[in-house]
Amino acid sequence: MNLSGTKRKFKKRYDRLPTVLLFILPALIPLVVFWIYPICRSIYLSFTNWDFISPTYKIVGFKNYLSLFKNPRFFEALWHTVVFTAGTLIPTIVLGLVLALLLVRSFRGSGILKFILFSPWITPTVAISIVWTWIFKADGGIANTILTALGASPLKWISSSDTAMLSVIIVTVWKSLGYAMIFYLSALEKVPGELYEAGALDGANKVQQFFDITLPSISPTTFFLMIITMVNSLQAYDQIQVLTQGGPSGSTRTLLYMYYQLGFQEFNMGQATAVAVIMILLTVALSVLQFKASEKWVHY
Amino acid sequence: MNTRYSDKNPIGLRVLTTAGKVLILGVASVFTAFPFLWMVISSLKTKADILNTDVFFPPDPQWQNITGILFDSPIPRYIFNSAWVSLVIVAIQIVSGAMLAYALVFLKFRTRKILFAIVMATYMLPVAATYIPSYIILADMGLLDSFGGLIISSTVSIFGIFLLRQAFMQLPKGLVEAARMDGASHWRALWGIVCPMTKASFITFGLMNFISTYNNYMWPSLITKTSDYFLVSQGLRAFFVRDGAYGTEWALVMAASAVVVIPLLILFAFTQKWFINGIGGETGMKG
Repeated sequence: MNLSGTKRKFKKRYDRLPTVLLFILPALIPLVVFWIYPICRSIYLSFTNWDFISPTYKIVGFKNYLSLFKNPRFFEALWHTVVFTAGTLIPTIVLGLVLALLLVRSFRGSGILKFILFSPWITPTVAISIVWTWIFKADGGIANTILTALGASPLKWISSSDTAMLSVIIVTVWKSLGYAMIFYLSALEKVPGELYEAGALDGANKVQQFFDITLPSISPTTFFLMIITMVNSLQAYDQIQVLTQGGPSGSTRTLLYMYYQLGFQEFNMGQATAVAVIMILLTVALSVLQFKASEKWVHY
Repeated sequence: MNTRYSDKNPIGLRVLTTAGKVLILGVASVFTAFPFLWMVISSLKTKADILNTDVFFPPDPQWQNITGILFDSPIPRYIFNSAWVSLVIVAIQIVSGAMLAYALVFLKFRTRKILFAIVMATYMLPVAATYIPSYIILADMGLLDSFGGLIISSTVSIFGIFLLRQAFMQLPKGLVEAARMDGASHWRALWGIVCPMTKASFITFGLMNFISTYNNYMWPSLITKTSDYFLVSQGLRAFFVRDGAYGTEWALVMAASAVVVIPLLILFAFTQKWFINGIGGETGMKG
């Protein structure tokens, strides 16, 4: 085996190649076939007038985007997405933090409470949305029975365009509350105890301690949860499909639901993929924001 | 730990805060648990009682609603479909994900950073944006409306790759090198040394992905049309629309939901800590 220097170097560089390929291809092939290629393909299709049935189609430039921007339905869906996101985000984060603060020190029964509060997160959204459809039933549903018992007037919940979005938000908050709580519990446990001791020595009361010590210490978690909740809201489908199918009269149609209707009901693939590209851009913007912020907060 | 909050507050105030705490936790737990309880209570009612708002508890529990779902409905079949399809998917995801994470952490190659950047970029992207082209790919392969199509389109978990990479990076650097010196192959080093030492992350990965695949709705409902291939969410929805006739058979619909949900709650009761560890681990990375 008299290999010259360069040959040996060559061999050294490439004899690892089969091993590397063996280890990365089982995940990389499906990642390319069902993730990366479809994303690129969606971007390409958004510039065509493909209708799913005809074998041929033309490149139409930005026509799909322009007709979306001229369509009031698109801006309605965008607005519904914003309302749904804000309406889910704020209660989930505030209530998740409150519950975590109350449960961070264990007491008898706290394990059971954590179990109950987190349990909706592992159950199928479709199943629990069906249960909520029953709860929200306008006549004879338990939600209205409770409202009437409390002296309030009954609501139409999912069957009126005024309250349908509220109903979808309630179900979503119900489902994601425990998830936010668990995140906050683990963040609160990591706040160093000395900070509180120092705070107490300086004469800070509990409210001051909360705002000066707890809240800044867990701000990376808050920010992370905000981004995750926004990304999840952008992708919410199951509860909308079961509770309202985007209705009544489009009042719960979000961008994702519009994408579903354009693509899989109307077969307008060009416009559907244009909506998908807009959702991708929104997600990229959120991720960049997350990345920048975590860079800033890394010193905590 | 308790000295941290050494309380100088007067006793009256303390009673008040405790009462407030109990009240908030009580309301939150009732709000969370109520839909599950109401599902079970409703599932045991007769067709007449369920629409009568004066009847809260079923006077004569209709257990045959539940047994009817268990022995004389397609729901058990959907549960079985979901369970075995998810097991296969998660097994493949664990093997492929562990191998990629191992390569990213322990193998040295020049495109490693680019590869990680690609994986990272896909992490948050809305998966629905891939559905139209993925649908066409499955159609071209003749795999629409089949278990094969469901499985082959879900064989990679980006979340899992992240979780395992995170765990692998915390292992001592020399560990794998020492095993290699002793003549172990990379395959043996991964499954014989690295995997046992990061068992907790593997369990979290398996459970989290099992649950999310088991519950998955949108993608399976787009690619399967025959009820033989329905996963549980799509099956339950079909049952709700067809046999439940959109609300004329509420007791049966609630019984079907209970049969789907209760086993998951029991599974969760025994595996809770792995879910919580998984989520806690994620924040560990960010905080």
